[in-house]
Amino acid sequence: MAENHAAASGSAADAIINLDGSTSSKDGTSSDTRPLPVGLPLRQALHHPAPQPKYHDITEKFERACSALNVGQLVKDEYFTLFESIGALEIMDPKMDSGFLQPGETLEDDYDTLAPLLPEEVIGIMDQLLCYEMAWHTGYPLSQTLFTSMYIDKLLWPEPHTFEQAQFYRGGLPEERKLDVMLEVLRAYCLALIKCCDFVIAKITGRDYFEEEDFCTHTYNRVLFVNTPMDVFLRELDAAMEGLEDIEFSIDQALRKALVSRLNFRKHFLTALDLDCPLDHLEKYWPPISSTLTPINTTHQLGKPVPGAFSTKLQRRLASTVPPRPIVELSFPDAFSNLKQLCLDCSEATRFTTLPPDPLEYQSFLWAYASRSPPPLPYSRSYLASLLFHPTTLNASTSFPLSDLHTILLPASPLIDPTNWTLSPPLNPMLPKPPRIQFALLIDEFIDRVGAPYLEFWTALGQNRCRLRRMLGHVILAWDQLQSDAGLVDEDIHRAASELGIRDEIIEFPLSSWTYAKKLWMVEKMVLLGFEQDIYLPDEYAAQYSFLSSISARRRTVLSNLTTHLETRHRAFLASAPPDLQSAHEVEESIQHVQSLLADATGISALADALSRFYTLALYLRLLPSPTRPFSTETLRYELRMKPFLTLQPPEVLPFDEFMAVVRPFGPFENLDPGFWDAVSRPEVRVWGEMEKSVKTAKEAFAKVKRLGAKAARAEGVEKHWAKEVQGALASCVALGVAVAGVRSAAKGVKKGDELGVRVEVPVMGSGKRYAEGWVVGRVGKK
Amino acid sequence: MDNSEATFYLSQFIGKNLRIHTTDNRIFGGQMKCTDKDRNIILALTYEYRAPAEAEIRRAVEASGNPTAPVSWNSRYVGLVVVPGAHVKKIEFEESGYGKSVVVL
Repeated sequence: MAENHAAASGSAADAIINLDGSTSSKDGTSSDTRPLPVGLPLRQALHHPAPQPKYHDITEKFERACSALNVGQLVKDEYFTLFESIGALEIMDPKMDSGFLQPGETLEDDYDTLAPLLPEEVIGIMDQLLCYEMAWHTGYPLSQTLFTSMYIDKLLWPEPHTFEQAQFYRGGLPEERKLDVMLEVLRAYCLALIKCCDFVIAKITGRDYFEEEDFCTHTYNRVLFVNTPMDVFLRELDAAMEGLEDIEFSIDQALRKALVSRLNFRKHFLTALDLDCPLDHLEKYWPPISSTLTPINTTHQLGKPVPGAFSTKLQRRLASTVPPRPIVELSFPDAFSNLKQLCLDCSEATRFTTLPPDPLEYQSFLWAYASRSPPPLPYSRSYLASLLFHPTTLNASTSFPLSDLHTILLPASPLIDPTNWTLSPPLNPMLPKPPRIQFALLIDEFIDRVGAPYLEFWTALGQNRCRLRRMLGHVILAWDQLQSDAGLVDEDIHRAASELGIRDEIIEFPLSSWTYAKKLWMVEKMVLLGFEQDIYLPDEYAAQYSFLSSISARRRTVLSNLTTHLETRHRAFLASAPPDLQSAHEVEESIQHVQSLLADATGISALADALSRFYTLALYLRLLPSPTRPFSTETLRYELRMKPFLTLQPPEVLPFDEFMAVVRPFGPFENLDPGFWDAVSRPEVRVWGEMEKSVKTAKEAFAKVKRLGAKAARAEGVEKHWAKEVQGALASCVALGVAVAGVRSAAKGVKKGDELGVRVEVPVMGSGKRYAEGWVVGRVGKK
Repeated sequence: MDNSEATFYLSQFIGKNLRIHTTDNRIFGGQMKCTDKDRNIILALTYEYRAPAEAEIRRAVEASGNPTAPVSWNSRYVGLVVVPGAHVKKIEFEESGYGKSVVVL
C-alpha cells in the first residue's frame, strides 16, 4: 500500500512510509527514480498504523513491592485457583521446562540433514521411523515419537508454503549441491509417512475417540500437509523408486530391493489410509498391503541405525504445554507385529461392507470385532466405525431400529404392516384417527425416540473392551428411560388394537418387551465383561454370578413369552384359509432367532447360577482367598458393585438383606449354620444336586444354541468367532462339572474344622487358561 | 513501601501482559496471574522467546552480507508457566498501544 502511494512524490512518500513504520527498507533513492503518475491528485488512504505497545521496565519497583508482601501472601487473580496453578510448568526446572538447557548445551543439534547417507543408513532410519509410527498408533504423542526425527522436522518446519519447499533444507541448496538419490528416497518416504499421519488423525478424529486415552492427535502446531492431495505423495514415491532403478546409480541389489519394498509398502499403506475410498472397492486396499510387509521384515537386518537422526531436543521447538518426555522406544519386532495386526484388523473391518444389511448382523460383527485379540488399535476401530456410520450404511431403506424390531418382535405383524403408512389421516383434525394410522404414527414416534440410544449403543460397541464396559453402564440408563417411554406407546398401541379387534395378533407390551430384552442383554454383557477384565475379586464371584443369573433369567422369561406368541401366530398363519405361507415363513425365521436368544439366555442363567453356587460353597469351605478389608463393609461394597444398576426399574437390584440371603445360605462365615457341614459332606444332598442340575441345563442350552447355528443367532458374518464363543461356554460348563465333582468328593464325610485337602485355583485373565474370558471357572487341585 | 501499597501496586498487573527475562536469556511473555513474596510469577497464555544461536546469526550475516541482517527469534507457545523468582532477571510491563492504561507505574 505504502509503496503505491509513495510513487506520487518523494517527500510525501517519506511521510507515508514513516506513518506505516516500515522505514527499514527505505533508502530514499528509490522513490525519486519512479515515474510520476500523471494528473492524479494524491489521495491518502486513511491508514492508521497499529499502535505499538510500550514497554516499561518495572523490575526494581516490582521487586520492592514483592519483598513488602508477607510470607504466604499471594497477589492473584481472584478467579485463578490453586488447582489451576498446579498445572503450571516451572521454568528452569529441568524436569518440567522443555526449553531448559543444561550448562554448555545448545538448543539445536548439529546433525546435518543434507549429509550423504548410505543405503543401509536410509533403511535404518526408515525402520526406526516405522517403529515410532507404530508407537504413535499405540497411543504415544507425536512429540515423543515421529517428531523426534530431524528429517521430519526439517520437512515440516519452518512451515513450507508450497509442497516443493518441503525439503531437508530451506531456501537454496548451499554450494550448488545436488540432493543425493538416497536423500530423495528418504524424503519421499518421510513425506508419505507424514501424509499417512494426517489421514490417520483425520479418520480417528472423525469418530468417537478419547484424546490422550486412546490416541494423541496433537500435532504441536505443525501442519501435516492437510491440503496436499494424496497423488502428489504417490508421485514422489514413484519418482524415488525410479531413481533407485536407474542403472547409472550403482547400489547393491539386496539394498535396492529393500528400499524399493519400503517405498512400495508406503505407497500401498497411504492409498489404503485414504479417506475417500469408495465403499465397494475397499477390499482392494488392505489385503495387498500384507504382501508388501514380509520383505520389510526380512530385510530389516540390512539397515544400520542412525541414532543422531532423532533427538528429544526437537521437543523444545514444539508448541507444547507439557514437560519434555523421553523418546518412546518400541522394538522393531513389536512395531512390525503391530503394523501387521493393524493391516489384518483393517482388512477384517472391510468385511463389514459385505454383511447383509441387518442390524443384528452388524451388532454381532461389532461385538466380535471388539473381542479380537490382540485388541484392535484405535485406528482400526475408527476405520470400522467410519464404515458403520457411513451414509450409505446408515441410509438403509428401513431404519435399523425398525428392522431390528421387525426381526425380533414383529414379523408379519399388523403393527408394522407397510400399508399403515399409506393411509391418509382424516381431513378434520378433530376426528379420531383410524387405528391403523395410529399404529404408523406410534411406530414412527417410537423409532424416532430409539434412534439416539440405538446409535449410542453401537458407538459403545465400537470402543475398546474396557471402555465398552464402562460406556454400557451409561447406555443401559438411556435404555431404561427408553423402556419407560416405550410403556406409554404400548398402551396406545393396545388401545388402537382393541379398536380394530386384533388384540390377540399383538403381543402384550410389544415395544417395552423389545427394549427390555435388549437392555437385559447389555446388563449381562456388562457383568461378563467385568469378569473378563478381572474387575471382581474371587470372593465376589458368587455374588456377581448370582446377579448375572437373575438378569438372564428375566431375559429368558421375556423371550419365552415372545416365543409363545410367535408360535401362536405361526400356527394362525398356517391355519388361515388360504394359508399365508409368506408370513408364516417370516415368523418362522424370527422364531429361529428368538429360540437362539432364548437358549443363550437360558444357558447364561444356568451356568451363572451353577458358578454362583459353586463359589458360595468354596467361600464357606475357605477355598478362595478373601482379603481383609478393614475400611469397608459388605453393605458398602455391594452398593458400589451395583451402582450402575441401582436406578434401573426393572430389573430392580435386590435389597442388601435379600441379597445376603441368596449368597449366604448358611449364614455368616463366622457363625455358620450347624446344618452346613451335614449338607456339604453328603454328596447326594440338595446342595450338590442343584449345582449339577444347573450345569446340565446350561450345557444343554448352549448345545442348542450351537445346533441352531450362526444364521439363527444372526452372526453369519462372524461365524468363526461366534462358534468359538459358544464352544467356550460349553467347555466352561464341562470344566465346572469337573470342578464340582472335585470339591464334592473332597468334601465327602468332612466335619467341622477339617481341612479339605484341595484348593481352587482361579485362572487369571488373558492367561489362556479360561475357556471363555467371561466365565471364570476355578480349577480344583490337590493341595 | 508498606504492605497495602505493595499489594495495590502488584495487583494492578493482574491480567496484564508482562515480559519476563530469565537468567538463561529467554523471555516469557504472558498474562500475569499471581505473584508472591519470593517474586515467583505465574503467567498464563505464555509464549517463550529465545534469541537465535550465535552460529545462526553468523550464518545469516554471511549469507546476506549485511552485518545488520535480521534474524528472527524463536518463539513457541508454552501456556501456563511459573517463573521462579530466583530466575527473574528483568520484568517489563506491556502497556497497550490503544488508550491509556490506568496502571500507576
